[in-house]
Amino acid sequence: MRATQHADGPGCSTSATPGVLAPVTSDELVHGSAAGAARPRAGLAELDEKTLVVRAQEGDVRAFEALALRHQATLYRVAVRVLGDPTDAEDALQEALLDAWRRINRFRGDSAFSTWMYRVVTNRCLDMLRRRRPAVPMDEVGDLPEPAPAPGRSPERTAELDAGMAALRAALQALPDELRLCWVLRELEGLGYTEISEITGAGETAVRGRIHRARTRLAAAMRPWR
Amino acid sequence: MTGAAAGVRFHVGNAVVARVAAQCAHQVPGVLGLRADLAHALLGLAGSVLGPDLVQPATDGVTATVHGDRAEIALTVVTRIGVNCRDLARAVQQEVAAAVTAYTGLAVVVQVTIAEVRLD
Amino acid sequence: MNAGELGEVSREMSGAVDPDAGPTIEVLACGRDAAAVWDRATAGARDEHERDCLHCAAAIADARKLDAVVHRMATEPVQPPPSVMDRVMGAVLAELRPHDVLELDSPHGPALLSRPAAAAVLRHVVDGMDGMRARSCRIEQLGPATGDASRAGPVTVAMTVTARFGVDLASVTARVRQMIIAAGAQALGVAVRRVDIEVVDVFESGLDRGGPR
Repeated sequence: MRATQHADGPGCSTSATPGVLAPVTSDELVHGSAAGAARPRAGLAELDEKTLVVRAQEGDVRAFEALALRHQATLYRVAVRVLGDPTDAEDALQEALLDAWRRINRFRGDSAFSTWMYRVVTNRCLDMLRRRRPAVPMDEVGDLPEPAPAPGRSPERTAELDAGMAALRAALQALPDELRLCWVLRELEGLGYTEISEITGAGETAVRGRIHRARTRLAAAMRPWR
Repeated sequence: MTGAAAGVRFHVGNAVVARVAAQCAHQVPGVLGLRADLAHALLGLAGSVLGPDLVQPATDGVTATVHGDRAEIALTVVTRIGVNCRDLARAVQQEVAAAVTAYTGLAVVVQVTIAEVRLD
Repeated sequence: MNAGELGEVSREMSGAVDPDAGPTIEVLACGRDAAAVWDRATAGARDEHERDCLHCAAAIADARKLDAVVHRMATEPVQPPPSVMDRVMGAVLAELRPHDVLELDSPHGPALLSRPAAAAVLRHVVDGMDGMRARSCRIEQLGPATGDASRAGPVTVAMTVTARFGVDLASVTARVRQMIIAAGAQALGVAVRRVDIEVVDVFESGLDRGGPR
């Protein structure tokens, strides 16, 4: 729905406004217009994403901060899983958020903002992986790691679960970067193939192939852990 | 430059003028701080993000340049909603100029930039 | 796995092989695409063929076993330390060089106000109105009104807003206009010459997030 009111006035004098409207008090400007009511001002955290994005694009630092707070846990989660290291993930998150601030005007709303943010952090992670080690050819997979030993002090069941998780983590890190990235977005983030394709820039068929290869390799690595 | 207070000639450097200006600006009602003050604690870390070239000491919210018997001062301040920005800028200009002139004898022009208006 | 994908999966269940699933990734001995079988298995779906087929059963067993650990990994709470946001916002603020500014009227020298800061004030004032949310706020400064070039010129404000469904748009936009003019004079110290308000969306109620994404 669109409606436009075009108001054209002679200047800053409030006397030019219709008499039915009460004059604006300075208290109203600071604290909002619900006199005496307990209704809280709509905080930035409650604003819809589109509004926050537009504000951030116009240079509103606090709107960007609200957006960043809303997305940081997701971006960090992806970075931890893709990079396999919390310290590197912190760096990737920090760089990704700064990238997002510097480039937010390039976001045109063709995709969801969350898709765009996934793309920003994904690019940072791939950057870090490229710098971390010389490129590993896609089909050259290292030997699957031995399952990690279960920590002795945990109760048996917990130890078994922890060891399973540790084994999955190790197997995940042994995957080629592109496979791991697509798998994380699909299986841990729950994204659809189309969105993953938008994020990674790979075709949908390639994405499905990568995810399937990742799944079968991880399943093979996890066979000792039932 | 030289000052002639009590017949003693003295020279005032940029850093002295900047320090006096910053201290005075902090006292003006409605000034929450100079821009860099708010980020100051984080600048060391920000330096690793931005690279040292982007985090100059000049960003601490005030710069001053003395030319002969004149000083140009630029201040970047943060205020809060409820303070009239124009009135605040004028007050900072007047009070800083008066303080620097009283202390140094220099003629002063103050540029004020309000970088942020805190809303909470 | 989100609801939309589960929906797709249940549609796939009606046919033996989903023709929309795209090119086959890996053919099982029974002719099924292993990738498609896996997708259905992790969604908890299984058709008649898959119940009886040994090849599919093996793939499904792999999928189920892996999925149990994967599910635990996916639900593991992972939170970044707060220091990251502190560093990011520190860097964002340190990077800000207020070059995008409005002139304030002052007889004592150059007085400038960050344009984004001024816009944030005007949005804040509108956010404080019941049933209104400011979105875009563009402020343009005109040349000095009189022949006196040393005086700062008035500004024009173009704002887009979202309104709660049911508010009287005519009266509320008139009020928005009045609030912006008052805020210009009282909070910013600039004369607002003209206000354009466009209602670009409506939202449902009270504290609901306004508008679709």
